[in-house]
Amino acid sequence: MRRWAQIFLLASGLLLLGLARPFGTPTLFPETARANAGEKTRQTASNLDIRLPLAAKSVRFAVLGDSGTGGHEQYQVAEQMELYRQRVNFDFVIMLGDNIYGGHRPSDYRRKFEEPYHALLDAGVKFYASLGNHDDPNGERLYKPFNMGGQRYYSFKKGDAEFFALDSNYMDPTQLNWVAQNLRQSKAKWKIAYFHHPLYSNGRMHGPDLDLRTQLAPLFHQYGVNVVFSGHEHVYERIKPEDSIDYFILGSSGKLETHDFRPSDQMEKGFDTDRVFMIVEVTGDQLYFQTISGHGQTVDAGDLPRQEQPDAAAKNQK
Amino acid sequence: MESRRSLRKLNIAVVTLPAALLLVTLSMRAASAPARGDASSDKDAKVVRDFQDLVNKYLEFRKSEVGSSPRPTNSPEKITDTQQQLASKLKDKRQNASQGDIFKPEIADYFRRQIAATLATQQGKKIRASLKHAEPVHGLALQVNQVYPQGLPLQSTPPTLLLNLPTLPKELEYRIVGRNLVLYDSVPDVVVDFIPDAIPLEKA
Repeated sequence: MRRWAQIFLLASGLLLLGLARPFGTPTLFPETARANAGEKTRQTASNLDIRLPLAAKSVRFAVLGDSGTGGHEQYQVAEQMELYRQRVNFDFVIMLGDNIYGGHRPSDYRRKFEEPYHALLDAGVKFYASLGNHDDPNGERLYKPFNMGGQRYYSFKKGDAEFFALDSNYMDPTQLNWVAQNLRQSKAKWKIAYFHHPLYSNGRMHGPDLDLRTQLAPLFHQYGVNVVFSGHEHVYERIKPEDSIDYFILGSSGKLETHDFRPSDQMEKGFDTDRVFMIVEVTGDQLYFQTISGHGQTVDAGDLPRQEQPDAAAKNQK
Repeated sequence: MESRRSLRKLNIAVVTLPAALLLVTLSMRAASAPARGDASSDKDAKVVRDFQDLVNKYLEFRKSEVGSSPRPTNSPEKITDTQQQLASKLKDKRQNASQGDIFKPEIADYFRRQIAATLATQQGKKIRASLKHAEPVHGLALQVNQVYPQGLPLQSTPPTLLLNLPTLPKELEYRIVGRNLVLYDSVPDVVVDFIPDAIPLEKA
């Protein structure tokens, strides 16, 4: 009888565990657990730790990567973004791909984009998407709230900065020529490229896309790209400048691959224990950035000086 | 900070010349669009022309009989409905289409040789690495007129490989699915044709 009671208790325990997991009981890793403890102090827009100068007439934007899971954590990041928007007043968001995971039914567009970011959308914040390998290129490029103008790759200007949203799923010769031509013609003080697959990465899950790097990195050098943002790797990483270009990986605004880094001297900063988003401010010759976790911790921050354009450097040497 | 700026200036100077040379090479390759794929003989050049004729005929047919790319909209319903209608109409109009209609044996043979030759270059290892890192899709049984299954990741097509294949008109793409090379129409989201096992196995 006692034996049957033990079996019954064991089975009940297993059943309860099995039922609990689908409801999203997260596995807590040390940093996340600490961040949760810190959450007891309720965050409001007024008590946020802001590391940007909030200068007049600056360009302010947020960065999201690999966000579209529709899960609780994506909504948590979105709530933090809205809090920061109230103070920082960023008016657009760049999306680094995997904007909508899984199916692309109308309900997926709602649950994985419109609902989590409804406060931002209601405040008039614009989203500029690039395509990841989990996106539906044909559906998403036509989805007006992603502001892709029906194209797989495109550019847009904001103040002193020009943004180049590329499709790294399909970097064909036509797109490579477009990149070269548009970078060459750009008169912007800041040239910022973003796309899904990273050229440099110390994540174990994917690593860098070496073939893409062979084609794109020389163009970025030649035409003076200042900063590159990518996703795909489900972590946050800031790479030490590679040939004067600053590279960021932010692929953990929805998905997360914990403890996923391989040791590397190339890494300036890495964070892989919570979801994140970034806020960025471009003012004059400085770019300020702040990376914030889904629990409101600032995990990285700093400022980057604008690199001199290659043609200007060549003139100075004459 | 000063030393970082100096380093950047030096780096810029050092990379400018090689980058310029690379761009010139790239532009020259791009300028020779119809011959891209380095058709090494007249026979190969004819195969490439035949392929491009078949591709253009398909695209004209799809545009006239099925429709063109819809305009951007705020409505996800409209996007999915239009996509489904286009795919279904195309399937209906091309119901007799089969594998090899466009990738005829001599064309498929040319593609296999081009891919093998590209993978045999020094860049080949990087292309293989990129393929492995791109969440490859295995076990998907391909069919002509098949809609690309929702929820499956799109494996990126390595750019150096694309530089060595014949140019495609806008809206048509080469896609890698496992070891197969797919001719994909991005407007109805449909597999137009494919070459089975086009990517050679890696030598041990």
